[in-house]
Amino acid sequence: MRIYSAASEETLRARKFLKEWAGDRFVSKEQYELLEKENVSELRTTNIFLRLVLFFFTVIVVGAGTALFFQVFFSPSVKASGVLAMIFAAVCYAGAELAGSKARLYRYGIEEALAVLSIGYLCIGLDEALFMGRPYSSAEFVVPAVGAVFSLWIWRRFGFSYAFLAAMILVVFVPGYWTSSHEAQRLMVAGFYAIGLGVVVAVRSRHRFDYLDEAYSLAEAMLWLGIYLATNLKILALDFPAQRWIGGWDDSALFARPFYWTTWVLIWCLPVIVLVRGVRKKDRFVIAVGGIMAVLTMVCNKPYLGWVRHTWDPMILGVLLTGIAIFLRRWLATGPNRIRHGFTAARLSGKDKQWMNVGSIVLGQLSPQSITPSAQPSSSDFRFGGGQTGGGGAGGEF
Amino acid sequence: MQGVAGPENEGFVTILARLEQWKAQGKISAEQQAHLAGCSREEPFSLFLELNVLLYAGVLAFVAGLGWTVSTWSQQLGDVVALAVLSAILVSSFWYCFSRGPAWSAAETAQSSPIFDYVLYLASLVWSLELGYIENRFHLLSGKWDLYLLASAILFFFLAYRFDNRLVLSLALSSLAGWFGLTITRWSANPDDEYRKYALLYCLLVGVGAALLKRGGLKAHFFGTYLNIVANVLFWAVLSGVFERRGFGVWFLALLAACGASLTWGLARRQFAFVAYAAVYGYVGISWLIIRDMGETAALSYFVVSGVAMLVVLIQIGRRFGRPA
Repeated sequence: MRIYSAASEETLRARKFLKEWAGDRFVSKEQYELLEKENVSELRTTNIFLRLVLFFFTVIVVGAGTALFFQVFFSPSVKASGVLAMIFAAVCYAGAELAGSKARLYRYGIEEALAVLSIGYLCIGLDEALFMGRPYSSAEFVVPAVGAVFSLWIWRRFGFSYAFLAAMILVVFVPGYWTSSHEAQRLMVAGFYAIGLGVVVAVRSRHRFDYLDEAYSLAEAMLWLGIYLATNLKILALDFPAQRWIGGWDDSALFARPFYWTTWVLIWCLPVIVLVRGVRKKDRFVIAVGGIMAVLTMVCNKPYLGWVRHTWDPMILGVLLTGIAIFLRRWLATGPNRIRHGFTAARLSGKDKQWMNVGSIVLGQLSPQSITPSAQPSSSDFRFGGGQTGGGGAGGEF
Repeated sequence: MQGVAGPENEGFVTILARLEQWKAQGKISAEQQAHLAGCSREEPFSLFLELNVLLYAGVLAFVAGLGWTVSTWSQQLGDVVALAVLSAILVSSFWYCFSRGPAWSAAETAQSSPIFDYVLYLASLVWSLELGYIENRFHLLSGKWDLYLLASAILFFFLAYRFDNRLVLSLALSSLAGWFGLTITRWSANPDDEYRKYALLYCLLVGVGAALLKRGGLKAHFFGTYLNIVANVLFWAVLSGVFERRGFGVWFLALLAACGASLTWGLARRQFAFVAYAAVYGYVGISWLIIRDMGETAALSYFVVSGVAMLVVLIQIGRRFGRPA
């Protein structure tokens, strides 16, 4: 079912490990060169920057080519253009298959762009061919449903995690065609995700230490997050980044009381369940999602309860997060060999340092932008806030 | 996804089995095999990155709340209380940093404490917050607001170099950019000639400064941070000139020169971010000049042909230079 052989992908994984270990000096340069020569995969890969640029230009070529086709050859009816879009979807998919199977491109940008475009063209084509210009019909659920199924296929075939995310997003639109009940819609979305989660959890146990583990880990994390977001009724009431700390859009009237309070209980239970599972399985993505869910629950709790949010709430959250980090670090550091229950706070890989360096550059540039004073006008009654001038400023408006 | 057993998986060997093989073949020692097997299984499991993200998010949330609280309640609290609170946090943070910080070295230095970087980041953000408060309440430098940004930039550069901190270095660079009148929001709204000149001046100052500091051996590992920021500011500035209807010729030449330099640097140093900058910024600029007076069909044809050409060139570059990073 998968376009690449397991042996090829596992060899690529071995090469990645070797590179990391050589960087961390766990193997000597001579050992690295010897082992690298022996572990050759026929798959053609590239670095992340060229991958992104190749993706970009493939989208340009195919998008412009499609538009040119319509421009030059004929101006079809909506229905015919829908059929053509589906043909383009097939062509793009065939291109992705060829790029993967014949050219052996692996995370190369080109085959990825073709696969992504095939999903887009398929959805557009279905919509235009079957439903455009017709009265609203509940059968239109076919568009997101087929899109979701096709995205899942792309995920299984090529292993692109963002195709799995696309499938999850498309699923959100399906229940809207079946029922107008907000409770039912959320239940259905959460139900779809729960089914997916059950399947992923059942399958991934066989791949704990092979190349598929990371893909399943990411899929599981996304599904947990999806279930949480479908459950949390107040997530949309938050107008990020922070303008709505004091009050927000209250949509509680849309939901029946029992449903509303059940979801409140669930948004407290889910982070605990996910964090416990992540810690037990030592799954980085699941732990991260559990942490995100916990923070979101703390942020959403007051709106849920109808309590007034205070300006100092973010301060309390900040102190709490910092306190947890310091406590965990110290607790882990005081264990035998600075390890407790198989966990350590120490940096074990140079890869972590690289992530920290990149994160520092990006976050150092971005974070002040959202909390930086704007340019100083000449008038004395100027109030600042909103991020206009860059710089390391902080804090809303005075 | 497929399982790992079956005829289609001939030759499939997990990393753990490979390590066993390498040990048996004498390519790695038994100690190495045990250690590397632990690494591949993530045993022990390092929470280093997660705890750092938690600390960063905590500091940011705290400062955001602090700013919000001070701004909302300053009338009720009074200036003395507000400034006392801000100053207390600032002084205690700086006291911690200067009393616990590692001895200065021109080379890369490890921090004395895992939370050190975040205390310094907190101090830097609170400094900016307090300056903003003072200026807004007392108008000490009314009309010369940019001086605060310059002062902050100088302080942040000092702190970044004293304590070897990239987060604060990024703050310094964005404060300096603010002083030059550069912001992302302003850029998109008003990329006029004056801004471009300031942007180029910023690039020149930061680029030359970074090169001199690197040559002098002062925190040479910061050079990459400078170069990435300078490259992006430079490309945005030059591109905005190319988009002008008049006098774009000189900016176009500048764009070509910048693309050439970025491409050469990227290929020579195997830093493919710069190859990507040259490809994308260069393509956008050149395409704009070519298609702006074209008809729709010709423009679409251009995108198809030029896109294919770019793909061919990039694939060749990838084959020759671009192994996975």
